[in-house]
Amino acid sequence: MSERILKELADSFVKLLIPGIRVTIPLTVISFTCGIIIALIVALVQVAKIPVVRHLARFYVWIIRGTPMIVQLFVVYFGLPSIGIRLAAFPSAVIVFSLSVGAYCSETIRAAIESVPKGQLEACYCVGMTFPQAMMRIVIPQAMRAAFPPLSNSLIGLVKDTSLAYSVAVVEILATAQRIAARTYDYFWLYCEAGLIYLIFSTVLTWAQRAVERRMERSR
Amino acid sequence: MIQVHNVRKRFGDNEVLKDVSFRVDDGDVIAILGPSGSGKTTLLRCLSFLEKADAGKVDFDDKTYDLGSASKKEILQYRRKIGFVFQDYQLFGNKTALGNVTEGLIVARKMKRDEAEKLGREALDKVGMLDRADYYPSKLSGGQQQRVAIARAMVSDPGVIFFDEPTSALDPELTGEVLDVMKKLAENRTTMVVVTHEMEFARRVADRVIFMEGGLIVEEDGAEQFFTAPKTQRAAEFLRGIEAGF
Ligand SMILES: Nc1ncnc2c1ncn2[C@@H]1O[C@H](COP(=O)(O)OP(=O)(O)OP(=O)(O)O)[C@@H](O)[C@H]1O
Ligand SMILES: [Mg+2]
Repeated sequence: MSERILKELADSFVKLLIPGIRVTIPLTVISFTCGIIIALIVALVQVAKIPVVRHLARFYVWIIRGTPMIVQLFVVYFGLPSIGIRLAAFPSAVIVFSLSVGAYCSETIRAAIESVPKGQLEACYCVGMTFPQAMMRIVIPQAMRAAFPPLSNSLIGLVKDTSLAYSVAVVEILATAQRIAARTYDYFWLYCEAGLIYLIFSTVLTWAQRAVERRMERSR
Repeated sequence: MIQVHNVRKRFGDNEVLKDVSFRVDDGDVIAILGPSGSGKTTLLRCLSFLEKADAGKVDFDDKTYDLGSASKKEILQYRRKIGFVFQDYQLFGNKTALGNVTEGLIVARKMKRDEAEKLGREALDKVGMLDRADYYPSKLSGGQQQRVAIARAMVSDPGVIFFDEPTSALDPELTGEVLDVMKKLAENRTTMVVVTHEMEFARRVADRVIFMEGGLIVEEDGAEQFFTAPKTQRAAEFLRGIEAGF
């Protein structure tokens, strides 16, 4: 590695970090938050066996899990305009990632809710609680504790998956690397550097996950 | 007073309760005995609407509740008048001992937190668990968990507490502390219906014994009468079987 490349990489590190902080992180945080809310609702209508809606929920999970995310991105960003719905790149990506997190995590959350012993719900009933009270106060908190490790993995997965937004012209880390490399021709080093930024992000998240898990372990 | 009328329950072809009726007077302790599979648990579960009976009624506090067709609202109202102690405790895993005891007061009865905690501490004190108020269930022994569960059931001062084999999941050396707590409740005239295999406890603490077999009440007696001179052949055989140590 020549001195020129080293200097250039130090330069571009900041240039890649900026879209990482300004685009990748917001995209991840917003999509994951919306996705978890969707996932909770989708899991709950299935657990509570709400008629009709639970079948719609299954249908949604089936569609999202059965199709590639890049196809979903194309449908929303390039496809919708042709039927008159025009969305900017960033919101398109948010919609697709939220729906994806919603579908995958709803399965995680549903399994976690079902892993809470039925006796917990019955004990709630016997102290006079209603079904919604029991779910909110006793069952879901315990389910979320069980779901935390797999949900953390989904979050880390999402950070990496946001690079797919490159394909619909969201200027995130990968797109920025591509632009710089198109000028300097150091494709190898720049793409490696883009990977390094993702690696840093997911490593930090992994540490955070461990720290939270240790804290949860203490409060039980 | 609680009067239970004609409870019936079947699971598929299996008729588990065939017309069960009995009465519980205020302050009485009733022990329900009977061989495995005789329907004791199912009876308690039907009486708390954890299982929907096919038929049956309960008169409780001048109101009649239909065990097969009560509305959600009636069930909620009824459940706020009972307590239930499970064989496997079922303490809320995400709550401390105190949180377990106050949860029903705060969430279901909308009581203020400090008021609920005052009652909660009193209840924990009665079961000898006040010094563990801030412990999570996973940090308590089985006997301690069951005592907290009893505090949780009694804190709302219910008209009756149902116990389903409260000591049978416990190591033998831990049953004593739980039975002692129940004995104290009985001395304070708490109305209790206790399914149990603890014959000593039934004999000393219960006022009356209900002996069930095959989904029917075969014999109902004063406790002393039941253990010294059972009226039915089946009850006598049951007692002999237990004496023979099985
Ligand atoms: N949810 C259920 N579905 C189907 N059958 C059930 C169910 N619950 C109980 N039964 C059946 O009902 C019968 C009575 O069971 P129950 O648990 O009430 O007996 P029990 O008197 O409490 O027995 P034990 O002393 O072993 O606890 C048994 O034959 C049991 O298999
Ligand atoms: Mg039983």
